[in-house]
Amino acid sequence: MPKINAIAELMALQERLRTGRANGGTILTVCGGTGCQANRSGAVIDALRAELERQGLSDSVTLRITGCQGFCEQGPIMVIDPSNVFYCHIEPEDVGEIVSRSVRGDEVIDRLLYTDPATGKKVQTEAEISFYRAQDRVLLSQNRQIDPCAIEDYFAIGGYSALAKVFTEHDPETVIAEVSASGLRGRGGGGFPTGRKWADCRTAPGDEKYVICNADEGDPGAYMDRSVLEGNPHAVLEGMAIGSWAVGAEQGYVYVRKEYPLAVDHTRKAITQAREYGLLGENILGSGFNFDVDVARGGGAFICGESTALMASIEGKVGEPRPKDVHTVEDGLWHRPTTLNNVETWANVPSIINNGAAWFAAKGTKDSKGTKIFALTGQVRNTGLVEVAMGTPLRKIIFDIGGGAANGRGIKAVQTGGPSGGCLPADLFDLSVDFETLKEAGSMVGSGGMVVMDEKTCMVDVAKYFLAFLLDESCGKCVPCRIGIDRMLEIVTDISEGRGRPEQIPLLEELAETVQETSLCALGKTAPNPVISTLRYFREEYMMHITEKRCPAGVCRELIEYVIDEERCTGCGVCMRACPYGAISGAKKEPHVIDPLVCKKCGICWDGCAFEAITVHSGGVPCYST
Amino acid sequence: MLQYVTLTIDGAKVRAPKGTSVLDAAVQYGICIPHLCHTPDLSDIGACRLCIVEHVKNGQSAITASCTLLVKEGMVIRANSDRVRKLRRNVAELLLTEAPNSRAIQDIALRCGVKEPRYPFRNNDCVLCGRCVRTCAELYRAHAIGFVGRGKDRHVEFPFDVRPDFCLLCRACILVCPMSIPPCDGPWKPGEERFCGKCESQLQVPQYEDGDCFWCDLGRNFGCTRYR
Repeated sequence: MPKINAIAELMALQERLRTGRANGGTILTVCGGTGCQANRSGAVIDALRAELERQGLSDSVTLRITGCQGFCEQGPIMVIDPSNVFYCHIEPEDVGEIVSRSVRGDEVIDRLLYTDPATGKKVQTEAEISFYRAQDRVLLSQNRQIDPCAIEDYFAIGGYSALAKVFTEHDPETVIAEVSASGLRGRGGGGFPTGRKWADCRTAPGDEKYVICNADEGDPGAYMDRSVLEGNPHAVLEGMAIGSWAVGAEQGYVYVRKEYPLAVDHTRKAITQAREYGLLGENILGSGFNFDVDVARGGGAFICGESTALMASIEGKVGEPRPKDVHTVEDGLWHRPTTLNNVETWANVPSIINNGAAWFAAKGTKDSKGTKIFALTGQVRNTGLVEVAMGTPLRKIIFDIGGGAANGRGIKAVQTGGPSGGCLPADLFDLSVDFETLKEAGSMVGSGGMVVMDEKTCMVDVAKYFLAFLLDESCGKCVPCRIGIDRMLEIVTDISEGRGRPEQIPLLEELAETVQETSLCALGKTAPNPVISTLRYFREEYMMHITEKRCPAGVCRELIEYVIDEERCTGCGVCMRACPYGAISGAKKEPHVIDPLVCKKCGICWDGCAFEAITVHSGGVPCYST
Repeated sequence: MLQYVTLTIDGAKVRAPKGTSVLDAAVQYGICIPHLCHTPDLSDIGACRLCIVEHVKNGQSAITASCTLLVKEGMVIRANSDRVRKLRRNVAELLLTEAPNSRAIQDIALRCGVKEPRYPFRNNDCVLCGRCVRTCAELYRAHAIGFVGRGKDRHVEFPFDVRPDFCLLCRACILVCPMSIPPCDGPWKPGEERFCGKCESQLQVPQYEDGDCFWCDLGRNFGCTRYR
C-alpha cells in the first residue's frame, strides 16, 4: 500500500475511489453488526458470497458488509443499491431468490419488505420507514456507506480530509476554537464542553500528553459506542488525530472492553490500515506531526468507564477511581495531561471540522448542540440505534421512531442514561432530550441508553435491579458507595418483599442524598438516581407496596399470587402438566386450582394458558399484566 | 524553601505549606475533622469519606474529602457546617452498623452525632479503610497484603490467599487496624451488637455546640492542640 506523503496525494486518492464507486454497478449492503450477527447475518453473508460466485456475479456486484445500521429489531437487513430496496429479516435460505430475482432482475420480493405497523402496507425503501424518516442520522448514515474493515471506503466518503484540513487551514488554537464554537459536549455522560477540555489540556504544563478514547461502554441496554467503533472506526481515529494535534499529544489509546470482540478487531484493523497509509505514525501527510494509537483492552469492569479508573487500568493498575480534585487534563495517564473523550465525541469531530462549527451548532438546543445516538430498547416496537438532534422530545423518539409499545400495553416510563440515570413517567414525554432538561427532571442524557417500560414494569423492581447492578459493579473503595448502595438495596428489597415500613421512605431518601454527595467518583455520585427518580415520580407505587402490600404491576413475587378464573378454565390440564412444582390440581374438564402454599410464582402456567384463564393478583386485586 | 499558602477553614485564616492536605492543615490548627482511613505518613486514598468538607468555589460549595484535597491559596473550606455534619453523621452511621465491634468506630459514630442507628447491624470485621495495606506497602515496602475483589466482595488478603515469604509477621498491619480494639464489653457476637454510648459521660462536650470541637480520639493521637 502506498504511503500518502502529502495532502494532494490524499485528495487524488479520494477522488479516484469516489469515481470508482460511482460507476460500481449494483451494491449489496448487508449489516454485519453484532446485533445482526446474532440474527445469523454471518450465515446470510456467506450464502450471499457463494450465490454470487455461483451465478457468476462476483465481479459485477459489490457486496459490502457494514457495521450496525441501527434497525436491529429487523435484522439481518440488506439494502440493494442503486434501486435502494430495503429487505429485512433475511434468512440464509432467501439468498438464492434475492440474487436471481432482485440482483439479476429488477423484481422486488414482497415477502422480505418491511411492513409498516401503522398502515400494514409493505414499504420498499429506507426513506419510507418511519423509524429512519424521523431521525437525523449524521454519524449512523456513514455506517451504512462503508465497510469498516476497508479504509478505502472511508476515503471514498471523504475520510481523513478533516485531518488534512486542520493541517492546511488551522493551527491548534483555531481547531479548539472551532470545536468550542460548535458547542460539542461530551457524549459519554458528563456533557462537559469538549472545546474547554481540549483548551485546558493544551495549556496544562507538561511536554508529553495523551488522548484517550473511552469505549468501555457498560450501561445495560446501551450499545452506541460499540456500533460506532465497529461500524466506523476511522472516524474515531481521525477525530483522535485532530484532537491530539490540537492539545499537543503524540500518543493515543482506544480503551475498549474485551466483551466487544468485533469492535476490538475492527479498531485494530483500522489502526493497521491507517499506519500503512501513513495516517498514523510519523510525519502524517507531510505535516511534521507524529501521532499513533494503541488499543487497550478492558477486562469488563463497569467502573473502568470512569476516567481515572480507566487510566489506572491502562497503566496496568487495579481499575479504581481516584479523587479528581486535580482534573485529568492536568494529571491524567501516567500523571501527564490527558484528554479523554467518548467514542461518539471523537467521531463527531471530523464532521465539525469539515462542515464548520455553525453547521453543527445549527442542530440542537441552546446549550446542547448537534445530534446524539440513543440505544432504544425495552418494551418498544422498533428497538435499535436512533440518532436525533439534541432537544428532540422523548415522545418523538419513543412513539414516532420507536413505534410505541411492543405489545399493545400502555407505556409507563422511560429510563434514560443507564444505571446512573433516572426513570421519567409517561406524562413527562414532552420533555426535550438535552443535558439540562433531563438533569432538571432528575435523569440524565448519560451515554444514551433509553429503556422503555410498559405497565407490566414495577418501578420498585426497576430500582432494585439497578441498585443490584451498581452494587456488583462498584469498586468498593469508598464507604458511601459500597455500604450505602448495599443499604439502599436492603431497604428496596424489604419494600418489594412486603416487609417495608413507611418510615423507610424518608430514610431511603436521606441515604440516597448521602451517597450522592459523599461518594468518591461519579459511579457513587449518580448511583442513587434510579431510586431518587422513582421515588419522585412513582412514590404511590412504593406506598402501595408498603401499606397495602400490593405490587400493581404484578412483578414482585412475594406480593403476588396466580389465580385460575373458574369460568374461563376449560380444564385442559396444560398448566397442571407444565407446573414444575406440582402446585396445580383439578379433574379433567373441570376448573383447576393453584395451591398458593406450593406455588413458587414462576409464571410458567400463565405463559402456557391458551384461554387467558390464569391471572396475576396482588392484594386481592388483578394486576396490569392480565 | 517551603512555600506557604493561606486558606480559610471555618472562618479561621490558616497557613499551611504547599502540598499539604486540607485535613492535615486543619488538624495542625486544632480544627478537628473526623477521619478513619487517614493515617500520618501514609498516602491518602479518600475511602472512609468521614473527613468530608464543603469546598466553596465561585459561590458554590462542593462536598469533597479533605484528606485528598490539597491546600491552595485563597481556598475557602467549611468543615463543620450543618450540611457537612449531617452527611458525616450518615456516613458514620453506615460504618457503625457495618462494623460495630470497634471502639474507634463506636467513638467516631458518637462524636459525629449518631443517635439511634437506623439500619440493622452487621458484624463485619473490616471496613476496608486500607490502613493495613498501605502500612505494609508504604512503610515496610513489603506489599504482602492487598485488596482483592470488587464491590461487596472486596477484602484484604495475601496474594493468591497464601502468606508470602516476605510477610514477616511483623504485625504492623494489626497495630494500625481500627478494628483491633473492641468496645469495652465486646467483642459482640452477631445479634448482640449495639451502639454503645458508654463513653458519652466521659466527653467534656457531649453535644456539639457551635464553636466547639468534637474532642475526637483521633485528634488526641495527632496532638490536637485542644488536648494539650
